[in-house]
Amino acid sequence: MIAHMAAPTSAARYRPSGPLDLATALEPYGGPWGTRQAAHLYRRAGFGGSPDDVARATSAGMRASVDGLVRFAASSALPAQPPLADDRPNPGRSSALAAAARAGVTPQSDAAIVEARQAIARAHRDNLIAMEMWFLDRMINTPAPLQEKMTLFWHGHFTSAYQKGIPAQALVNQNELFRANALGNVRELTLAVSQDPAMLRYLDNAQNVKAHPNENYARELMELFTLGIGNYTETDVRESARAFTGWGIDRDDHFRDFPVRHDDGSKTFLGKTGNFTGRDIVEIIFTQPAAARLFAKDLLNFFVYSDPEPALVDAVATVIRANDYNLQPVMSTVLRSNLFYSDRAYRALVKSPVQFVVGSYQLFGVKQSDLVALGALRRMGQILFLPPNVKGWDGGAAWLNSQTVLTRENFASSLIAKMGNAAWMQRATVSMDPAKVSRALVAMILQGDVSPASTANLTAYLSGNNVSASTVLSVENADERIRGAAYLTMAMPAYQLA
Amino acid sequence: MKRNAFLLGAASGLAVVGHTGGFFSRALAQTAAPAGDRVLVVVYFQGGNDGLNTVVPFGLPAYYTYRPTLAIAQNDVLRINDTIGLNPQLKPFKDMYDKGQVAIVQGVGYPNPDYSHFRSTEIWETAAPDKYASTGWLGRYLDGVNVPSGNLFNAVAIADVLPEVLVADRVDVAAIAQLNGYGLTSDRSKTLGRDEFHAFVADNNVPFRSPYLAQVASIEDHAQRGSEELPKLIAGYQPAASYPETPIGRSLALAAQVIGSKLGTRVLYVQLGSFDTHTTQRATQDRLLAEFANGISAFYTDLAAHGDERRVLTMTFSDFGRRVAENGSRGTDHGSAAPVFVIGGGVKGGLYGEHPSLDALDAGNLRFTTDFRSVYATVLEKWLQRPAPAIVGPGFAPLPLLT
Repeated sequence: MIAHMAAPTSAARYRPSGPLDLATALEPYGGPWGTRQAAHLYRRAGFGGSPDDVARATSAGMRASVDGLVRFAASSALPAQPPLADDRPNPGRSSALAAAARAGVTPQSDAAIVEARQAIARAHRDNLIAMEMWFLDRMINTPAPLQEKMTLFWHGHFTSAYQKGIPAQALVNQNELFRANALGNVRELTLAVSQDPAMLRYLDNAQNVKAHPNENYARELMELFTLGIGNYTETDVRESARAFTGWGIDRDDHFRDFPVRHDDGSKTFLGKTGNFTGRDIVEIIFTQPAAARLFAKDLLNFFVYSDPEPALVDAVATVIRANDYNLQPVMSTVLRSNLFYSDRAYRALVKSPVQFVVGSYQLFGVKQSDLVALGALRRMGQILFLPPNVKGWDGGAAWLNSQTVLTRENFASSLIAKMGNAAWMQRATVSMDPAKVSRALVAMILQGDVSPASTANLTAYLSGNNVSASTVLSVENADERIRGAAYLTMAMPAYQLA
Repeated sequence: MKRNAFLLGAASGLAVVGHTGGFFSRALAQTAAPAGDRVLVVVYFQGGNDGLNTVVPFGLPAYYTYRPTLAIAQNDVLRINDTIGLNPQLKPFKDMYDKGQVAIVQGVGYPNPDYSHFRSTEIWETAAPDKYASTGWLGRYLDGVNVPSGNLFNAVAIADVLPEVLVADRVDVAAIAQLNGYGLTSDRSKTLGRDEFHAFVADNNVPFRSPYLAQVASIEDHAQRGSEELPKLIAGYQPAASYPETPIGRSLALAAQVIGSKLGTRVLYVQLGSFDTHTTQRATQDRLLAEFANGISAFYTDLAAHGDERRVLTMTFSDFGRRVAENGSRGTDHGSAAPVFVIGGGVKGGLYGEHPSLDALDAGNLRFTTDFRSVYATVLEKWLQRPAPAIVGPGFAPLPLLT
């Protein structure tokens, strides 16, 4: 349980410079459409996409491309579930130990106890790997990238983690809930999350009963999930916690409303009084303007740029309320807007580790994640299904330090070294003229977003650059040199930015 | 409230007790180095170290009641006084204690303890039990002291992930798992030529603007240069102690090398574990405590041989202590308060604070007697010479354990 202090005010340090043209910000964009805009759309509404994805979006135009992203293509060809081992504590074990103690019998041997513990620890480790790879592979291969991107957004918003005895299956189910409601109605998703077995455990509502109210879920629901600090009182926390009493889980880890645990007295919450249940609390929360503002701000931070102006947040909140919290039309508006394609939004976000990895896989046509990727993600600071706390991942500048940046570069290096001669190599090998190859690489990987000096450096590298006996790019050395040049291009600052 | 017999009552609830009293204590107190030259080393006992089997209250009968298979026999305890002693595996560390090099703060914790590894560790690392802070307490220290921005090694974490305690707003902290492997794995970054590669990764003359561009370019530049330069900068250091071949031994050897190479490093972080001893605790914890004791003993021997022992203060922390009663698996579950060790530097050796009562538990857990932020305030104000309230919040008085 978290008691609360005021959140520090953001210094808006990472808000893009220059003025916001609020009057036209959310109007449909009618400016130039090319590879840069198409790649920008795919980085934000997806993970980057393959060069073919970007080429298709370039020729399809903005409207058709956004339509194709907000209307999810069927993803039934993707693996529906990861393979999971039984990670429940052996239900017989503790009672067997207690019975042995009562009978004065020596309990199980140390070796047996250790073995049982280790089996659970192994299941935990294997399950986490299986879940991470399952989600990553869905992101890499999905025909509906925005659905997976929104699933990742919700995972960081309505956080739960593979801890506190939560079964892996419950987290997979929660992930499916996010996916099914990816661009659905936020109010309905919030209600579903309030009854989600993983969440009921993660924020302790399973222990929230009339005799011993537990405020953890009620508090975080308002502070982090829907309203934000300053938009409710401590009394609202206590009263809504009473309303959520009785929402728990049964022996099979399904949601269950236990009437005997529910406090059915009168509650006063955000100025309304009644015999409220959790359902009523969610309804009341979503009548508050602060709720629309919180989702507007979080969506802008995740999809457009950091520290959005309050006036812009209000404008998007108005769109959210006008659509009664249905996100598909909201995201459709944002992804078509002048704001979204403005210079101020362009490369104005830091790629998350997951985006860095998934986008790199898509760029180079690698279809399956592996343990190298999982280890790199851990060192970059993002473990799927294990967000650091209920606040989720801070994102932005928090992704960047010497260690995480070295890990990004080393991951790129290992990916480049092991991938086969896929389509990207043909795309890069336009000729044996180093200048043309370097331009092709910079166009494919960074849409040309580098300095002339860096392009010249890359050309020098492809030419042998006085460290090789051969100063000519040739069929014999092209594979090695183009891989090297691709790695160097991925080491440029622009590649860290979305 | 019943106080334990060994405690010398003091208005603050804190008292210096133990074998070192009066004149003897002052004579043994370590003389500290000048402020600008000082280094803080934090040692993280990962996983939640059991305090009761580290600093053992062998004089409290309840200890043996709660720990029928895990308790350390009275005769085995390395006695500090008639009630308290150290785990026998800490023998080299006890020798340091006997020389006045170690302060033990008992019963350190915080209100409303959290029993999640992640959250409780985060609380210790951010010094913010009441909110989700985005920087660590030592990160905030670094942000406040105007460390030279050109120095790549203002702080060094010997870990493969940057720990939250060193996450700063303005200072980029190097995280190094071990020297071998720190840096770029690809030799492609070298074939281009060093200068070109640096120009390349620090490229900010680009056809777009981004509020993050300058920072990305600068961190990439730091990472490249740091990983190249560190091995050269510390190559001349000759260790003057034989470090144990353990992970903590290797980490402390590297820490001494960085300190002795005088790179301007103010804070180092090392870790060992896992102390998450739910099962058959004795074997695991005993091994880890022995590794810690042998490592820290070699570390201070090495520092002393290089004349650095007075520049270096070391402090330990963990996720939490463990449950007072052992569980059915000869282990202990997650708990609350635990002792903190403060070592070397200007330490006035001895026992500080009050051992938590074993008779008045809070749902099976110890009630803390010293807030961890008071320990941090001590280190900040008396060692690093920075005002503590801005970093750990107001109202945490320093303890009298540093000269």
